[in-house]
Amino acid sequence: MHALRNTIGICLLSFSVFNSAFAILPIEKLDSYNGAQAYLVQTKTLPMVDIEVSIDAGDRYDPVGKSGLADMTAALMNYGVRGSEGPINEAQIADEIADLGANIGLSVSGERATLRIRSLSRKDLRDRAVRLAAAMLSAPTYDSKIVEREKQRTVTNLLEAETKPEFVLERRFKKSVYGNNPLANTPSTKSVAAVNAVDLKQFHKQFYRGDRMIVSIVGDVDRAQANEIVRALLQKIPESGPAIAKLPELQRSPVEPLAQREVQIPFDSQQAHIAMGMTAVTRSNPDYFPLLVGNYILGGGGFVSRLMAEVREKRGLAYSVFSYFAPGKDTGIFQAGLQTKNDQAVLALEVMSSTIAQFIADGPTPAELVAAKSNLMNGYPLRIDNNRKLLDNISSIAWNDLPLDTMDIWTKQVEAVTLEQVTKAFQKYLAMDRMQIVVLGASK
Amino acid sequence: MRSNLLRISFLLFICTPLAWAAGADSVDTHEYRLSNGLKLIVREDHRAPTVAHMVWYRAGSMDEVNGRTGVAHVLEHMMFKGTKKVKSGEFSRLVAAVGGRENAFTSRDYTAYFQQVEKSKLDEVIQLEADRMSNLNFDDAEFSKEIQVVMEERRLRTEDNPSSLLNEAMMATAYMSSPYRHPVIGWMNDLQNMKATDARDWYRSWYAPNNATVVISGDVDPKQVLRTVEKYYGTVDAHELPVRKPQIEPPQKGIKQVQVKAPADSAQLTMAWKVPKLEPGKLDDVEPYALELLTAVLDGYDNARLNRILVKQEKVVNDVGVGYDMISRGPELFLISTTMAKGKTVAQAQVSIRKALEELKQKGILESELKRIKVRILSDQIYKRDSIFGQAMEIGSTEMAGFSWKDIDYMLEKMQTITPEQVQAVAKKYLIDEGLTIAVLDPQVRQSDANKESK
Repeated sequence: MHALRNTIGICLLSFSVFNSAFAILPIEKLDSYNGAQAYLVQTKTLPMVDIEVSIDAGDRYDPVGKSGLADMTAALMNYGVRGSEGPINEAQIADEIADLGANIGLSVSGERATLRIRSLSRKDLRDRAVRLAAAMLSAPTYDSKIVEREKQRTVTNLLEAETKPEFVLERRFKKSVYGNNPLANTPSTKSVAAVNAVDLKQFHKQFYRGDRMIVSIVGDVDRAQANEIVRALLQKIPESGPAIAKLPELQRSPVEPLAQREVQIPFDSQQAHIAMGMTAVTRSNPDYFPLLVGNYILGGGGFVSRLMAEVREKRGLAYSVFSYFAPGKDTGIFQAGLQTKNDQAVLALEVMSSTIAQFIADGPTPAELVAAKSNLMNGYPLRIDNNRKLLDNISSIAWNDLPLDTMDIWTKQVEAVTLEQVTKAFQKYLAMDRMQIVVLGASK
Repeated sequence: MRSNLLRISFLLFICTPLAWAAGADSVDTHEYRLSNGLKLIVREDHRAPTVAHMVWYRAGSMDEVNGRTGVAHVLEHMMFKGTKKVKSGEFSRLVAAVGGRENAFTSRDYTAYFQQVEKSKLDEVIQLEADRMSNLNFDDAEFSKEIQVVMEERRLRTEDNPSSLLNEAMMATAYMSSPYRHPVIGWMNDLQNMKATDARDWYRSWYAPNNATVVISGDVDPKQVLRTVEKYYGTVDAHELPVRKPQIEPPQKGIKQVQVKAPADSAQLTMAWKVPKLEPGKLDDVEPYALELLTAVLDGYDNARLNRILVKQEKVVNDVGVGYDMISRGPELFLISTTMAKGKTVAQAQVSIRKALEELKQKGILESELKRIKVRILSDQIYKRDSIFGQAMEIGSTEMAGFSWKDIDYMLEKMQTITPEQVQAVAKKYLIDEGLTIAVLDPQVRQSDANKESK
């Protein structure tokens, strides 16, 4: 009983998630280790710690014909490893994670693979969670029986996904917008079937190394303990390896006649699903903030965006309608979308297109700009008010090579955005005659 | 060797965190009752200068009557369509202007609205939310547009989603008389025939301070919050609520089955048993806790029984999920949901599930399995405090089910006292055919496919 009250009582006096009302906790750069960079934000109110390892081993490195390899390389890390005291099988790994009250999650996006640990910060528990994660990162076994089982499960999931409108739409849209870039390729039953245990081992060996990793830590640990965690995590990871060929740059979506840019997919769902978009900017692009503010007005701002007003509020055409920029480290796209019952698809697409076209042509009104900046600036504390959100922020800052004071100057950068900057940025990066369009549904 | 090590440190772990789970919340949580009957619960959490403000109305789809299913959720949409002072759409604009995030959600048991803001903006959102507790004023034209949006929502979430269709059919089959048999979003035909007056009647019936609980969590001073809440919500008049009939579901007398044909690739099987829930005032009733733990023993972690046996060893299903929630206003089901593995049939999956359950009923569960689950429950008590929104959600949903937030710690302590024998006993007693509903998704080929695309 007393243990907890004391812990919380003392900690309230020290670090909270914020230092004081508007001072934001500093990001500390830890010692780099085995080629990997590492960062820490100390928050001591709760006896827990979140740790993330980002690995430059995303889907974009899938070899031709083996889409899904990067996903499986990460996902199968918790299905058997060689630990320092011998092999640990998938059941033992799962039991150990459960026994520790920890979570260890693996995910893969286009750019990176991510391993996340959430553990209580008590040293013995934390150490064991880190030790297990270290074995997963450095020595997954990729037992061929388990590989076969998981391949079969993935294929079954894919076959199911291929009956879902949102999946079919998204897959086709990626193909359109990424063109010749490897991100255009998504896993198919055929490409997953082509992956074997040797591929997984090789991909792991090639990409899972210190110079392609970043560690981010948030929680109840001090600098020395955080350095210790990084060393324990990456101890058995090779520092470097053979050079990896640079990926082709994402080519800007070309100007094309509508007939070349628009794809119709017949699909007997009740609703048509529509996606529209094109290549855009990376996170480190200096126009990131004008685009962020502008998109809030166009289709990002929840219930108050122009797309929401035109498509949903005024016409009742859709439940969900949105637009966003997805800026990555090396590539980025703009995407807008909605779903509507089939006989309204043509009208809804027309309303969405004209709303976007008008915004690109004329930009926002002064009142819209004030409202957008007011929302983003006043709402900034909501983006960093707990450990998980802080981890998302640090991880993004580290991955995208942003300055360490990014969180401190974020609201100032929003405040500095002018009407002219928004209009210019939208006109510079977006153009209606470059938009790739996919319409899936029963129309036509 | 490995397992010995595990067991030793395990014991170390289980002793201390027991203390963590208990007592921490009551120190910084405050409850008040306004003279108009509104309940206010404030959870202080000073980690960051933000706050979550929620109002929960104890009126959900289970309070609807035939022909008007979905009206609770439709009204939730209409709550953004203006009051006497704030015109349509303005609510969201004002919340956005102060940097807020907002939304609302409807369940079988309740309807809730929330805003998250930087703490200095709390008064403004309280004022807005209190205003629409009694001054809602939308016109018929707004209604006729918004009901189209709700029908699009139903198409998106249900009509084009075979798992939702299956779940809808399963609930409507399992229950004959309980209003839990209706989907929260409502039947499409009821939505097509809904009128603005149906929504207004619903609002006038159920939206009252004496049917509402306000939950505020975050960096606040409870005394000051109370003053603000009194200032704005305090002016709203209480009124008598409609009589709620018990509508108790008659006992089931044998297996029920339902089949749904919908576009999909794999068949799905859901088995749902009627089981008890925790009743307010009877917090020492062992069975609901034992059922919660049974859920986790079957499906609480990657190596839990059903995942291990059905997915990894027998490879008969591709995925398995187990569901049970011991607190709710209406009756409870214990659910096992599966998607078939390639080449396996629903019949084979059912045999495997029954075999796994039979083994558990006959041989019981290991002490170590149960401890593992209890550790997870304890650590989650720490992790949940990372989110002030999550804390407000827990308080609100507990209150709506008829319990007090003060019961939460007691329930968690009680959970730690449950034995393997008690878990085995509820499996034996309740996972039987008399109370079972079986729902099967029979996959149909899509009439058209992605290979026929055109430019």
